[in-house]
Amino acid sequence: MTRSTRTGAAAACLAAALAVAGCSGAGTTGSGSSTLNIATMTFPQSLDPAQAVGSALPFFQATYDTLVKREPDGEFRPMLATAWKYNADRTELALTLREDVKFADGTAFDAAAVKANMERFKKGGGADAKWLKDLEAVEMKDASHATLQLKQPNPAMLFYLSDAAGLMANPAAFGKGDSLKTTPDGTGPYRLDTAKTTIGTKWVYQRNPDYWGEALPYETLTMSFFDNETAIVNGLKTGQVNAALLQSADQQISIEADPRMKTTKQEFDFQGLLLFDRGGALTPALKDARVRQALNLAVDRETMLRAIRQNRGEITSQVFGPDTRGYAEELDTYYAHDPDRARELLRAAGHGDGFTLKLPRISAIVNDALAASLAADFEAVGVKLVWDDLDGASAVRKVFTDRAYSGMVMNIGQSSSDWVVVDELVNPGAFNMFGTTDATVRELVARVQSGTAEQAGTAVRSLNEHLVEQGWFVPFYRMSYLHVSDGTVTVRPQSGMAVPSIYNYSPAK
Amino acid sequence: MLTFIARRTASGALLLVVISLLTYVLLSVPDTDIGRQLLGQSADQASVDAKNAALGLDRPVLEQYADWLTHAVRGDLGTSWFTSEDVATAVWGRLPVTASLMVGVTLVTTTVSFLLGVWAGVRRGAVDRFVQVLGVVGYALPGFLVTLVLVLVFAVRLNWFPAIGYIPFAESPGGWLSTIALPVLSLSVASVAGVSQQVRGAVIDVLRQDYVRTLRARGLPPSRIVFRHVLRNASAPALSVLGMQFVGLLGGAVVVEQIFGLPGIGSMTVTYTTRGDIPVIMALVMLTVVGVVLINLLVDIVIGWLNPKARAA
Repeated sequence: MTRSTRTGAAAACLAAALAVAGCSGAGTTGSGSSTLNIATMTFPQSLDPAQAVGSALPFFQATYDTLVKREPDGEFRPMLATAWKYNADRTELALTLREDVKFADGTAFDAAAVKANMERFKKGGGADAKWLKDLEAVEMKDASHATLQLKQPNPAMLFYLSDAAGLMANPAAFGKGDSLKTTPDGTGPYRLDTAKTTIGTKWVYQRNPDYWGEALPYETLTMSFFDNETAIVNGLKTGQVNAALLQSADQQISIEADPRMKTTKQEFDFQGLLLFDRGGALTPALKDARVRQALNLAVDRETMLRAIRQNRGEITSQVFGPDTRGYAEELDTYYAHDPDRARELLRAAGHGDGFTLKLPRISAIVNDALAASLAADFEAVGVKLVWDDLDGASAVRKVFTDRAYSGMVMNIGQSSSDWVVVDELVNPGAFNMFGTTDATVRELVARVQSGTAEQAGTAVRSLNEHLVEQGWFVPFYRMSYLHVSDGTVTVRPQSGMAVPSIYNYSPAK
Repeated sequence: MLTFIARRTASGALLLVVISLLTYVLLSVPDTDIGRQLLGQSADQASVDAKNAALGLDRPVLEQYADWLTHAVRGDLGTSWFTSEDVATAVWGRLPVTASLMVGVTLVTTTVSFLLGVWAGVRRGAVDRFVQVLGVVGYALPGFLVTLVLVLVFAVRLNWFPAIGYIPFAESPGGWLSTIALPVLSLSVASVAGVSQQVRGAVIDVLRQDYVRTLRARGLPPSRIVFRHVLRNASAPALSVLGMQFVGLLGGAVVVEQIFGLPGIGSMTVTYTTRGDIPVIMALVMLTVVGVVLINLLVDIVIGWLNPKARAA
């Protein structure tokens, strides 16, 4: 054999090997319409609904039904509960339940199951367990009627029942130790295929043949976890991922250039500086509303949005999102960039020489551009911003457990429920850790909580206005996220949720 | 040989205990709050404290370590804090992915670098220079860059291979090959570059030896001289490098598994370490130490078998 024929043979071998691999590779890429592959960057710590968290809801929706269904536009529709009714003072919520629903082992879904699940969720120690703090007891009238007794009216009750707190598992599984954590047992449209699932990376669900409701369009549903958007984008381009949510502006731009992709924009998270210390415990200056207003006026939101998010989003001065009743469009531009006015306000508040504001910085949230931009904006009005560089884990401890900072720059999802926003950001608790409030806030919150729908609507709008005027927060902008599909799927964004419900996917026509 | 293996095993076990203690203490030092991380920013402090107590994190670090160790020696590696999965099952499930990569890379590296090294060492001249340039280029290219280019060209552009994911061998051998082909290829570039240079150098050294001249003088066919005698003596240094490359692959696997979205040990290490999931990290550290000890032992045994002189050393 001459040297050239030997080289030729080697090349032929290599080509053959590539062809073999190539053929089989092609076979795995086309997923067809019977399988839906969703890529995600969030995943549940456990598949036990007692520890369910709203942000990981799709993992639970596949195998569990909620009592109430939340439509993409935020409307509530019957699911396991076919009807619901409040009493006059809204401390009792009566539910009528479906009667034809059974768990896989034949156990009937009934009022006892509702009672067992809700009591378990309340005590389960999950992140959203606090949602049921107002629930006193669940009363069973008969198998298909349950009444939730509340300690005080809770305007978000139906929202909770359409979310983590409304997930119904088989009570027969409650006695089996931790089994629900990895092997879900519900009445939902799919069953977890444990043989094909690798918890932590890939969850495979097969259609439940005994499902009581209408079958979803996909035989198999796969959810894969990725810790970077590059892999997701590559997967979308090769059709291995059918749908995903992209958060980074750069990745969004790169995928939009590909004509095969279908994209839908949604604004969900807002980014901003949450001020905690409105009583001035750590930074005395923050006690004065004029100082908080000055910080709001100092921020150049337009420039930040352009430089940091490449204009993918909307500037805002309010924490209520467009899907809530509290939202008012004009409040988005309430604080126009006005350093002169900011300096005036600071002078009037007795801080003409400025003051120092120390904030924690987690580089995953506050990148260099944002850190520099905010520091420069504050500096321009005389406020010295000192960033304390922390890693995510220790920041969480210092901020929430030790309460060591006056505020923090965060990305926060905007719920579609007014009460969820009020409870999370305004009522004393995690994000209002110093528990500051004022007479107006107290009065308006009470009306949002107990008033009729109309009264509550008016009150929450006034509350939002008051919070903006008082400079409780320094929001920057709402960020546009991009729902992307490889062209085979139509995705409908879910109001009040970053990731769509599993019901929001259908084959593209 | 048996005493050698026994001695190595004993020192390996000691290493395991020392490293596990150090790892546990170091992981527990950071000012983190696992309960808060698990429950999220908006959870109330009472739930967070209850969670930490339920995980036993309110106890002194050494007590936690002793607890972990006594369970671990009985084969109970605990439950992941962040996914509630049994740690042994979770790690075991991901092992085939990384093992496929490492075995694949070792096969490709051994075959290609021995071919290239012998070719260059025997032919010299233009062929040798070509192989040397190839080696320098292969070594100099950053691994992640090679990987990204391979994905863009062969997966995204040409669609010959899947860009992400892993198909188990049992499910479809062809699918398995297609999912590991690009990752193996990208990991092999640097290791082929390293090992082929080693083989080349060793072959040249051995060819200069007197006994080769004698064999040639006795009229033995050149191919027989190279494959029977030269290669056997030249293998030892190459195998040492190959062993080191194999251990180094763990680092490469981290990047490659992340880019290809492979559910292997490498990507697992990154994800679980950033979260501070101590039970999983401990299992992964133990697995790595055992792997490194075993590989070194295996390399020494093979070298000893190939070259009896090395056994005495």
